[in-house]
Amino acid sequence: MDTFDRILQVEELTKTYGRGDNKTEALKGITFDVLEGEFLGIMGASGSGKTTLLNCIATMLRPTSGKIILKGQDISGFKGSKLADYRGKEIGYLFQEFELLDNLTARENITLPLSLHGITAREAEKDIQELAAMLDITGVLDKFPGQMSGGQKQRVAAARALISSPDIVLADEPTGALDSKNSKILMDKLSAINKIQNKTIMMVTHDANAASYCSRIMFIQDGCIFHELRRNIKKESTADFYDRIVAVMAQLGGGSANVL
Amino acid sequence: MFFKQVLRNAAKNRKGNGLFFGSLVIAIVAFYTLLSLGQQDVMIYLKTVESEAVAKLLKLLPAVYLVSLFFVFFLVYFACKYQTDSRRREFGMYLMLGMKRSRMFLMLFFETLWSSLISLLIGIPAAVFLTEGISLATARIVGLGIIGHHFSFSLPAIFWTVGGFVIVQMLAMFIICIRLAKTQPADFLHAGAQESRISMSVAKSSLAFIIGIALLLFAYYLGAFRLHTLDARVFLVLILCGITGTFSFYKGLGGFLGRGIKRKSPDAVGLQTFTARQVQENVLSQHKSLAIASLLLLMAMACVSYGISMGLGRSVSSRSTDFSLFGDEQQINDILEREDVQEMVKTSYPMYLSMKNDEYWDDEPNQFDYSKFEEALRKVDGTENILENLHIDYIIAESSYNELLKSINKEEINLRENELALYSSMATDGDFGILIEKSLENDAAIGIDGIEYSISKTLYYDNIVADRAITLYLALVVPDELFGRLAREPEAYCRNVSLKDEIVDEMGLMQAVSQMDAKLADTGIEYDSFLSGIGRNLFYTVSASYLTIYLGILFFIIANTVIGLKYLIQQRQTKHRYKTLAILGAGTEKMCRSVKKQIQIFFMLVLTVALISSVVAIYSMFTSFTKLPIGTNINTVIVISVVVLLFFVLTEIIYISIVKRTAGREIRSLH
Repeated sequence: MDTFDRILQVEELTKTYGRGDNKTEALKGITFDVLEGEFLGIMGASGSGKTTLLNCIATMLRPTSGKIILKGQDISGFKGSKLADYRGKEIGYLFQEFELLDNLTARENITLPLSLHGITAREAEKDIQELAAMLDITGVLDKFPGQMSGGQKQRVAAARALISSPDIVLADEPTGALDSKNSKILMDKLSAINKIQNKTIMMVTHDANAASYCSRIMFIQDGCIFHELRRNIKKESTADFYDRIVAVMAQLGGGSANVL
Repeated sequence: MFFKQVLRNAAKNRKGNGLFFGSLVIAIVAFYTLLSLGQQDVMIYLKTVESEAVAKLLKLLPAVYLVSLFFVFFLVYFACKYQTDSRRREFGMYLMLGMKRSRMFLMLFFETLWSSLISLLIGIPAAVFLTEGISLATARIVGLGIIGHHFSFSLPAIFWTVGGFVIVQMLAMFIICIRLAKTQPADFLHAGAQESRISMSVAKSSLAFIIGIALLLFAYYLGAFRLHTLDARVFLVLILCGITGTFSFYKGLGGFLGRGIKRKSPDAVGLQTFTARQVQENVLSQHKSLAIASLLLLMAMACVSYGISMGLGRSVSSRSTDFSLFGDEQQINDILEREDVQEMVKTSYPMYLSMKNDEYWDDEPNQFDYSKFEEALRKVDGTENILENLHIDYIIAESSYNELLKSINKEEINLRENELALYSSMATDGDFGILIEKSLENDAAIGIDGIEYSISKTLYYDNIVADRAITLYLALVVPDELFGRLAREPEAYCRNVSLKDEIVDEMGLMQAVSQMDAKLADTGIEYDSFLSGIGRNLFYTVSASYLTIYLGILFFIIANTVIGLKYLIQQRQTKHRYKTLAILGAGTEKMCRSVKKQIQIFFMLVLTVALISSVVAIYSMFTSFTKLPIGTNINTVIVISVVVLLFFVLTEIIYISIVKRTAGREIRSLH
């Protein structure tokens, strides 16, 4: 595998909460790579460490040890303005609860990461229109979050995560607060962006439906990588992939003894 | 365990909310200062000379106290709400862990009680110290002398301060608990994130904004140009327009800001749009509080300037003579020659004041012809009332009035041939003196026995006798020879006595007058002393300035605390936004700068309107119903206004910086 293809390298990542007897190891030395253009899903039970992993990559949490290398740069040691620059510019983040600023219009929300890095909405108007058209939110650009549906909110949040053309989009249960119809619309859009723009997406999810859009799924249990599924994109439909995911999940539920 | 937790929580609240705690202490100081007014040296003294007026004033105190309590209640309510709102998650936990609601409320009440106790322990000693200082300072300033001073500690004042304060705190907590009682544990635990309410229609907000500005401008116009007629209807319309205008202005302001943000947001960088939207949201949801705070600040500034000008105007020495002795010439001379009296007397002179002789009493054209004076008055606007009641019944001899002017180091009158001067002891009341002086510019004259006497352009007003209760609406200062002809009683009306300056300087005016008063009292002679003059003077100083300044400061504190707390409450409710911003790449410093900017704009939105309104209010106040008394040194007024303004600005800066620091601390605690 060529290193140029690897957009993200995670090496021996550990994260420990608490001290002494109260110590909890959330991540126990995880190592994996993410390739450019990959749609990676991370699944696992509650408390398995998947959200901790995502938060470490998003720099919301500082890892206890190990390296996170994004495009050749170790981001686990970033501080101050370098950290702020990384956030919002190098990574886009999609939250389960959208986390749109409800006193800003959709347009203002989308352009916030840009203006934080000195780019005005006027300069980015073309990108905004393109993204809005792609995510089907052109009609709500001048509305406030309070005036939108949940699905629209999450697509606006997606536009905000994508506007600064980040190297990687991190999504934490993006369909967690949506109904099945809106979940499907969102996943269709994300999948399209992944394919058309070759955008790397890393998504934590519980939902096998959402996970079936991924090209690869990592299962995490007790802070370790436990299993991996790859989808044969050319031959395998999402429905078939879904069946495989559900099978692994059932095995996960039944204990490791049943897993091949 | 229970009480340990109460103490710990109370300590945490005090630490986290120093702004509110400080305001409470100031409120306590204000309460005690007001309630102990009766114990102040000046007041104790005034009771002896102006007992009736003082009794009236003291009767007024409970009303002022209740008004203050009412306003302090809001301060306490907002602060308690701020504190309980920030602890919702904690309350949810208590409930889920099985704490009974009643026990939780009991805990909150004890916390409030404990905090009250601590603020009282700080506030009351500070208040006692302050009132002692005020008491000594006023005694010194008014020349009461501080020999008789004794430490005053008013138990009833403490009782009412503590009582009122605790009741207000408990009532605020009670109302908050009612609200909390209806809240489900889940709502407590998932507190904070509420939907923004930026939904007012554009047309509606524009309309409110424009109506608000129009009403305010109309109120300013009424205040500046129409109030001098002192028409109650104008006043009522002005108050109504001012209040509804302010409310409507703030109601529409959010929409106005929104349009500005929309226009500018395509070119905004950094957190500019976010900062502006935060302010806009605050204005939209808090427009009523903003209007109230702005009006309170206006009231504060108007009260304080009124109080200071009253104190200043009245205390400007209008003292002209210290004693007026009546009776037999010989007896007066005997007294004045006594050694112990003589050593205190600077000068004494007879005052010739009399009613007009009967022959001149009727307005026969030949005897007294006012027509040229009336003509001169007609040329001045607003003299209708004066013209209707124009009558001059008294005359004063020029030489004796000159003696009086000499004794107070003023320039003497030098009447030319066929010239008179006009005198009024009411020249300093309202417009009267100014209108008369204006009319004197128009060649006013009075005909007496067919001879035309021109009236000197200066209106004289120095009191001609010691007792201020005697007022002369209008009198003529005439040459002595004419006085002899016109006077009904050509002998001296009384003998005026002035005390030596060095004795007054040494003992203070009040002590000096009291001492002389004691000497005269023994002689059995009839006399008036300046004591009652001082009494009334002081009474006005104390009642008008003291009370209004007190209310002014109270309004000022409350307005600022309300704005500060309103901002902090909103910031806490929108805390999650800052977390999102951090993820999107906003550094802590950037967010702190945004927060500071928000606070600055938020305060400025309130202050600007209040300041403009106050300028108009103070202008109209001093040009209409509370004209500065003649003789008030304009430079002193300007210096004092600058000092007061600086005080306001400084306090504002302190308030804003405290709020900024609290807000900054919250942002930093997110990480």
